[in-house]
Amino acid sequence: MATPKKSNGRSIVEINQKIKSGDVQVLTAEEMKKLVESSGVEVAYKEVDVVTTGTFGAMCSSGAIINLGHSDPPIKIQRAWINDVEVSHPGAAVDLYIGASMMSETEPFEYGGGHIIEDLIAGKEVELRATSYGTDCYPRTKLNTTLTKDDLNQFYLLNFRNCYQRYVCATNSRDEMIYTYMGKLLPRFRNASYSGAGELNPLMNDPDYETIGVGTRIFLGGAQGYVIGEGTQHDPTDRFGTLMVRGDAKQMSPEFISGGTFTKYGTSLYVGIGIPIPILNEGLAKKTAIRDEEIFTEIVDYGVPRRERPKLGKVDYATLKSGKVTIKDRKIKVSSLSSLKRARKIAETLKSWIENGSFYLSAPAETLPTDSVCKPMRQTGEIVFVNSVAHAAVTCSVDEDIKSVAQRIISKSVNHVVVTDKGGEIKGMVTSWDVTRAVAEGKSRLADIITKKVFTTTPQESLEAASRKMAQHHISALPVVDRNKKVVGLITSEDIAKLRGR
Amino acid sequence: MDRILLRFSEENVAEPITSQVILELGIPMRIVTATINSMGGDILVEVPAVHLKKIVKAFRDKGVVVKYPKLIEVDYDKCFDCGACYALCPVDAISFDEEHSIVFDEKTCIGSPCGLCVDACPARAIKLVEQHRNHPK
Repeated sequence: MATPKKSNGRSIVEINQKIKSGDVQVLTAEEMKKLVESSGVEVAYKEVDVVTTGTFGAMCSSGAIINLGHSDPPIKIQRAWINDVEVSHPGAAVDLYIGASMMSETEPFEYGGGHIIEDLIAGKEVELRATSYGTDCYPRTKLNTTLTKDDLNQFYLLNFRNCYQRYVCATNSRDEMIYTYMGKLLPRFRNASYSGAGELNPLMNDPDYETIGVGTRIFLGGAQGYVIGEGTQHDPTDRFGTLMVRGDAKQMSPEFISGGTFTKYGTSLYVGIGIPIPILNEGLAKKTAIRDEEIFTEIVDYGVPRRERPKLGKVDYATLKSGKVTIKDRKIKVSSLSSLKRARKIAETLKSWIENGSFYLSAPAETLPTDSVCKPMRQTGEIVFVNSVAHAAVTCSVDEDIKSVAQRIISKSVNHVVVTDKGGEIKGMVTSWDVTRAVAEGKSRLADIITKKVFTTTPQESLEAASRKMAQHHISALPVVDRNKKVVGLITSEDIAKLRGR
Repeated sequence: MDRILLRFSEENVAEPITSQVILELGIPMRIVTATINSMGGDILVEVPAVHLKKIVKAFRDKGVVVKYPKLIEVDYDKCFDCGACYALCPVDAISFDEEHSIVFDEKTCIGSPCGLCVDACPARAIKLVEQHRNHPK
């Protein structure tokens, strides 16, 4: 245990005086770890005043509030679009919130709110379109104009969930490739992805939030910004803390604020955040020495689209940063979705700002909650899962002849027969259409007409996810299999249609 | 090893030109990708750098169009070195250097038959270079 009371401690006022006089000692989090390793916590505490951190990643719960100024005649905007992206109008007349994940109506999944914010920061002109119902005081009903950031009264980044302390490592058990907010995941655990800067992450270096809270001055998008509280879904006891932040976007740089695109998922905003950790006591010197090897996260199967996704094991950030991770006894490549290079640049930039006296530290008016919990949603409607709709599957084995399968199709009056081996494991599927075609083409061997690559579902999958799968692949039935690929039932589009018609 | 793209037309695609060149020169070549049918198409081959000139001449003499292909284009101004592309590359053409910058090895990339990295890039910094095939419609 660190004994911070023994030393006199160090105050933020003292540190700021040192910044003013140019005597401040600043290290990046990575440099701090090396110093602690070579010289010990005590020396590091004595020598270092501030440790700078950084992260640069996709943070979808971000956006910008802008004020347009009033038009003449004035308008009370009801709906508005910037570069064909709908932006929300949460306030009085001409305040708009550009949500990072709102997508363009003409170029969805390619251009979105995050890109508008980047374009505005880069000085580009954007097109605004707005409509309204008209009132006695705001008679105007239509508006078309172009804008740059210089035309805006306020342009503030106002992000309600940023800077996750750590995040999970994602992989995919399914037989098909999936596109997620954790990127593109190849079938059957062939790749993985993770996010976060690990030992360089701001919250990881002050895990008890001793120095971070409302009013903490930070590096945000290349300018000075502030923490305005804990972020939504802040989950401190699980080490999944988050931040709500605000900063003047007019001062920011596109190098540290970039629009991002996740194919078939949506658009986002890459946000660069750096937080200075004042080394107020020896305990903080020790905490800022945390290494990637000590930061663990779960490997999670994103192939299962449920709130609780199956966990496949634990992995530390040193392993993740090495680019290879072991899943199901196999070494596979793991991609980072956040940029370590840019996170380092943020920590370095913040360090230089403090050293050259252009950035002063601020004590939080209130630190972040350390014991709040992130609850799941209260759901009052009934959610239907595959197991409540699926029925027993009619099966056959590979070595049967087509005729006996045809007879079974008639006697059981079904369209789909699932092919299994002796242990009941799925080997393929035959439909009444396949049998008809076999007759037309004079084929008699069942093996020649089986569809071997079959999309499947599980009893725990939601009916919505299963029907999405059928629609995506233009198929009319999904065998239901358990974890060992054993067939436990079948679900058809007819079952779903019946349920909807109920 | 160097890479060349052999372009066959509808007129010469039926002839066993590649095998002929290999037999005549006695130089092994590695076929990296082939996109070809009776209308013509492309074969991407890897050949020993020392024999490059000889091989190119042999193919050209037989009426094959030979190109030094650029298969992929990376806009390094857009790329912010996240690495979303890295784990998707089946031929390990994408790696990190010491500073965690993304490095594309254009000599290893197999281009358009793959393209797994292209739509995985959140910055949209990667583009496949379209290899214009000259086979008739």
